[in-house]
Amino acid sequence: MTKINVLKHDMVPEHQIVGKDEEERVLKELKIGKDLLPRINRFDPAIKALEEINGPIDDDTLIRITRKSPTAGISVYYRVVEGGLFK
Amino acid sequence: MIIIWKDKKEKVEDLLSRKSASYAVDFEVPDGITEGYITIDGKTIAYRLKITGNEKIRKGSKYDFEKKKTDLKRILQITDVKQAIIPISRFEIKLKGKTFSGSEVTEHAKVDPEMRSVSKNKMESNAVKLIEEYGGKFRIPYGLGVKLSKLKSEMPKKGFDELMETVGVELGKRAIDPYEAVGIIAAQSIGEPGTQMTMRTFHFAGVREMNVTLGLPRLIEIVDARRTPSTPSMEIHLKPKYASSQAAVMNIIKKLENTTINDVADIITDTVELSITIRPVPSDMKERLVDFSDIVVALEGESSQMSVAVNEESKELIVKPQQETFKKLYQVQEQLKTKSIKGVPGIKRAIGRVDEKSGEWLIFTQGSNLKGVLEIEEIDAYNTTTNDITEIAENLGIEAARNAIFKESLNTLQEQGLEVDMRHLMLVADMMTFTGSVRAVGRQGISGRKSSVLARAAFEITTKHLLRAGLMGEVDTLTGVAENIIVGQPITLGTGSVNLVYKGAPKKE
Repeated sequence: MTKINVLKHDMVPEHQIVGKDEEERVLKELKIGKDLLPRINRFDPAIKALEEINGPIDDDTLIRITRKSPTAGISVYYRVVEGGLFK
Repeated sequence: MIIIWKDKKEKVEDLLSRKSASYAVDFEVPDGITEGYITIDGKTIAYRLKITGNEKIRKGSKYDFEKKKTDLKRILQITDVKQAIIPISRFEIKLKGKTFSGSEVTEHAKVDPEMRSVSKNKMESNAVKLIEEYGGKFRIPYGLGVKLSKLKSEMPKKGFDELMETVGVELGKRAIDPYEAVGIIAAQSIGEPGTQMTMRTFHFAGVREMNVTLGLPRLIEIVDARRTPSTPSMEIHLKPKYASSQAAVMNIIKKLENTTINDVADIITDTVELSITIRPVPSDMKERLVDFSDIVVALEGESSQMSVAVNEESKELIVKPQQETFKKLYQVQEQLKTKSIKGVPGIKRAIGRVDEKSGEWLIFTQGSNLKGVLEIEEIDAYNTTTNDITEIAENLGIEAARNAIFKESLNTLQEQGLEVDMRHLMLVADMMTFTGSVRAVGRQGISGRKSSVLARAAFEITTKHLLRAGLMGEVDTLTGVAENIIVGQPITLGTGSVNLVYKGAPKKE
């Protein structure tokens, strides 16, 4: 039984962790607070795949998602990792 | 790396009350562990914490417990202890890739280094250069940039500049202004063509029971985020090795289809002897590629419920319930009927057909089980999809679910010959996946979770929302559209989004 990497699946766009210093720049450019950004669950399969590659990911980490878009070619989206299970 | 251990409740509560603490433990902890989980009852995991330091207890060091107690081995620096809102069961932790073993140390599974390369999108450098060059004037989408960068080399400089000017004007016309009510435009743009939709189901030629819901019912299903679609089905791609030969495809189909005992054998219940006889039908067995031994193996796991006697001569199985009561006999009979011998649970039928475009074999199924199917070796796991959006969200993540919602709704509308701009559907898909889980549009989902009390009350179940708001002392800041209409103010869109403040001229003296 082989374990598959969901990040390689056709339906899953590219996920990247945004570093702390870059994060500030991104939020400034978007003129938005972190609490207003879309969320992604800590236990999301894509986050778990990223964790296996980069080590543990903390809550409130910014994730950059590079989507293939039929109208814009490539579009960039951001999500914030949300714990959900631990307060 | 993570570690899970069992502890006493008082001790954990003491930890919870401190910001950080040094904690002595009586088991070995290897270096490099940064995250810990604590269980109290041994079944559920209730606490998570960060480990910032890890020191061995030596004689004469700062923490010398040797005189009092000898079984303490390590000092951990613990910070950031958090309690789970709902304790995670041991079973769930296992699913999440962490093995549980009392107070022992566990490790993450090693990752295949080949998995590291996840980058699928490589941007063309010419297009990126062009986008940056004109970026000061207007934003060019990447797709357009690719086309324009090809034209750039073919056209004279002057002509190209003129073209770019026109592109800028056209892009400006199509851009959405800030504070434009895109949601209501999307609702109108999907709703109006939606009135022309018909109910239609698509049938696969030659297979009576295989069909796929399309049209309005399917669109409602997607938007309502139903747990399971009315006709779940999968599109399975195969690895290149297997995709060209029909014989190989047929073998995979046999592997996929869930076969129960009832499919390949007659089940005869004897109410006098209180026994059940399983008599395999050879022709059915051959068709489904099931061996007599497969049935015996499948029943071995059920020995606590029933005793199985094999009659090798007549190739029959005689099953007796453990307790000789009529009720038990009936239960065992029902159990045998649905007992799966081989195949993937949930896949009722599978048919193979050649894709017209690529000329490769594809397998379509009735019933869906993404997790089970992805584990089969012959399958191209990275292209196989299902029409069950919840299943995609669980197994491939929220971004894949967003893509699935978009693609499924677009296909449903296009199949009906309705032209809806994709961007409206993208907006719906983005909103449905905003919180990290798939939410329905409507009372249970997006509309029912709005922050404004008045907007919720205006939508559905008015009294419930107003009563609750009164009891809880909710505040409505009047930032949305619906609440401002109720109150009788200009809505916060278009010109209404701007507040004018008169500062007054400074006094000249």
